[in-house]
Amino acid sequence: MALKLDNVTIFKADRWLLSVNTTVNNGDILSIMGPSGSGKSTLLNAISGHLSPPFIMTGHVEVNGCSMTTMPAHQRGVGVMFQDALLFDHMTVGQNIMFAMPQTMKAKEKEKAVIDMLSAVGLDGLEKRAPNELSGGQQSRVSLLRTLAAQPNVVLLDEPFSQLDSHLREQIRTWTFEQLKHRQIPSVLVTHDMDDAIAAGGEIMELSSC
Amino acid sequence: MTAFSFNTTTTLAKWCLILMLSVPVIAGTFGAVFPAMGYFPAIGETQFGLHVFATLFDTPALWQMVGLSLFTGLLSTLLAVAGALVLLAGFYHLRWLQTIQRLLSPLLVLPHAAAAMALLFVLSPSGMILRLVTSLSSNESIVPTSWWFPYDSEGISVMIALALKELPFIMLMALSVLSQPQTEKKVAGYYRIGAALGYSNIAVFFQLILPVLYPQIRLPILAVLVFATSSVEISMLLGPNSPNTLAVSVLYWFNHIDLSMRMLGSAAALLQVVVSGVAVGIFIAVERVIAVFGSHQRLSGKRHSADLWVKSVAYSIVSAYCLLIVAIIYSVVMWSVAQYWAFPNLVPDGFTFLHWQTATASLTLPLVNTLQLALAVGITSVAMVLLTLESLSNTRSSRSVIDNVLPYTLFLPLFVPGVAFLYGLVWLQQMFIGDAIWVNTFIAHLVYVLPYVYISLAVSYKKFDMRYVHVALGLGKTPAQVFFKVKLPLMFPPIAVAFALALAISFSQYLPTILPSGGALPTLTTEAVASVSGSSQRLSAVYVILLAGLPLIGFALAWYLPRVVFTPHRKKTNIRDKRHTHGA
Repeated sequence: MALKLDNVTIFKADRWLLSVNTTVNNGDILSIMGPSGSGKSTLLNAISGHLSPPFIMTGHVEVNGCSMTTMPAHQRGVGVMFQDALLFDHMTVGQNIMFAMPQTMKAKEKEKAVIDMLSAVGLDGLEKRAPNELSGGQQSRVSLLRTLAAQPNVVLLDEPFSQLDSHLREQIRTWTFEQLKHRQIPSVLVTHDMDDAIAAGGEIMELSSC
Repeated sequence: MTAFSFNTTTTLAKWCLILMLSVPVIAGTFGAVFPAMGYFPAIGETQFGLHVFATLFDTPALWQMVGLSLFTGLLSTLLAVAGALVLLAGFYHLRWLQTIQRLLSPLLVLPHAAAAMALLFVLSPSGMILRLVTSLSSNESIVPTSWWFPYDSEGISVMIALALKELPFIMLMALSVLSQPQTEKKVAGYYRIGAALGYSNIAVFFQLILPVLYPQIRLPILAVLVFATSSVEISMLLGPNSPNTLAVSVLYWFNHIDLSMRMLGSAAALLQVVVSGVAVGIFIAVERVIAVFGSHQRLSGKRHSADLWVKSVAYSIVSAYCLLIVAIIYSVVMWSVAQYWAFPNLVPDGFTFLHWQTATASLTLPLVNTLQLALAVGITSVAMVLLTLESLSNTRSSRSVIDNVLPYTLFLPLFVPGVAFLYGLVWLQQMFIGDAIWVNTFIAHLVYVLPYVYISLAVSYKKFDMRYVHVALGLGKTPAQVFFKVKLPLMFPPIAVAFALALAISFSQYLPTILPSGGALPTLTTEAVASVSGSSQRLSAVYVILLAGLPLIGFALAWYLPRVVFTPHRKKTNIRDKRHTHGA
């Protein structure tokens, strides 16, 4: 599974915004940096299938040689994470993760998988809790578990650590990158923080403001 | 459901919504044109011509009716707008505002008929206020011998009642605009900048905030104006007898035993459209004058806008509402259990539950009708609006022409007076649907409920954090799954409120019930209005309580249910606890 951004160029109406031409190999994390307005989040939207007018994209987004450029967002298998955990408040922690699992799995399998996933990251027994009862750090971890449970082809991280306190930040960051690398998922990280980009250990791309 | 069919469903819902809003209004208005032009085959009239209009303009006191409609509608709207703005100017930056909002909200959902009836209990010559004045004064001469409320030939009673009823609507509309995140931020900034430049809070409101706020509440205000110039319930219950406002006369002609009077009614209904249009024209002219005056003010650099005056008016308005609300609750509750209540006693001479028993015995059918209609209308309107909004939020496709037409169709039923299109609609319904009273009434209610449900839910849709949608789609869920399993549960609180709003609006409909059903579908509101002309003031009191209480139950549920439904905790723990006990 490799993500290829093949001559991806994004325009805002007629104005050129950015061009990217690179490949992110399995388990690698591409870091995108740049001032606000340089189109970092817009690039993520183009990969996940949420680009909306006035933005227009040319070029191709490919996963393992398959073009996803015209695919609707829900068929791309591109998991997205934001600075907020965005857990669904109307579900328990366990239901949040089960919601993400493929429909081919049986209910019993899902329940067992949830218990295993939670205990693997030190959140044992939290599956019946409401999301808002969890601490910020716990919510971030559940959010990543949920993303991974969907078995994504690609994961996009839109400044995922910027809400966290500095001591938690490093811990969650290390853990997140480990998980992604361990599962061999190509990822793209958007960040303001050079430390994040260095920790990601992959290519660092700087977008200029136009 | 595949993505394709879900997409089709939402697009279909959007079209249904647009047709539902425009077809009855446009067709209904045309339905009035034919009889007005002399074509009314039911009684053998097939000669097109202007003779019906000739008869209409020969009607004695026609211009008095028109004058009354214009006077009551325009002045009440102007007063309500001025009052709402003064309240906002005086209280927006204060904590008090929330209390006032809570005070006025129940008045918003009080049906017009119930509001008029409630005012009868308080302001009429034997009402609570005069009882109070008479009992408290030892001096007999203080009691006026002639009293202006109700039925005064100038229409002051109608005008005051309309103003009292519309002020909360305009005020809450403005507050909802001001609560939108971007506007709220801007307004807070303006207050800070204004203060730094030495302007008083009240001056900041009128000179900086009002220009931002007013364009956004202008359309609802004009809709209020059209309603006020053409409303039936309040003028019927509080207006002068002969002549009353034009709208009441239209209803009278339509319901006349002599069917040929319907042609006159149709012509008068079209005149009503013109009258409401003239009212809007005059209102816009007044707006212009105030705008010119306002821009002079802004450049003058005055740091105060008659602050003391604005503040005292604001406090007077709030006190008046408090006094009215207390007096209404007290007198209505007392009357509903009173045996006999001689003037000017402050307490009834004896108590009985007889009226409640009489009422409950005869209420079953109207209550069932009311609830059935309201639930059907509520479910249909909320479902239609949600699917339409979902269709519009599909940002991958660019907006089509129809998407830009939608906002205008929303206001169509609010800008064409009900008396004008409802009768034409009935005429057409009888031709095409037949005597399906229930369906016809359902459609008429839906036309009035949809715009408000749409406006209320569109705001919540705009506020919804789209990142939830992106996350769920990224997890591989189809748009349909995201809609049903993520969006709807997360938006349950505003959906519940919109549903309660739909129920309340359906409860309050008088004309859209009485016309399509020909009076054969009694609801609480129609029965309440009928009870006023009946003899028992005590029975009317029971109706007012029910009409005020029913919408409040809806809103109480809308407040309570989101705490129990779609919250993961309670149910799940209970089940687990049970399992544990079983195991042990």
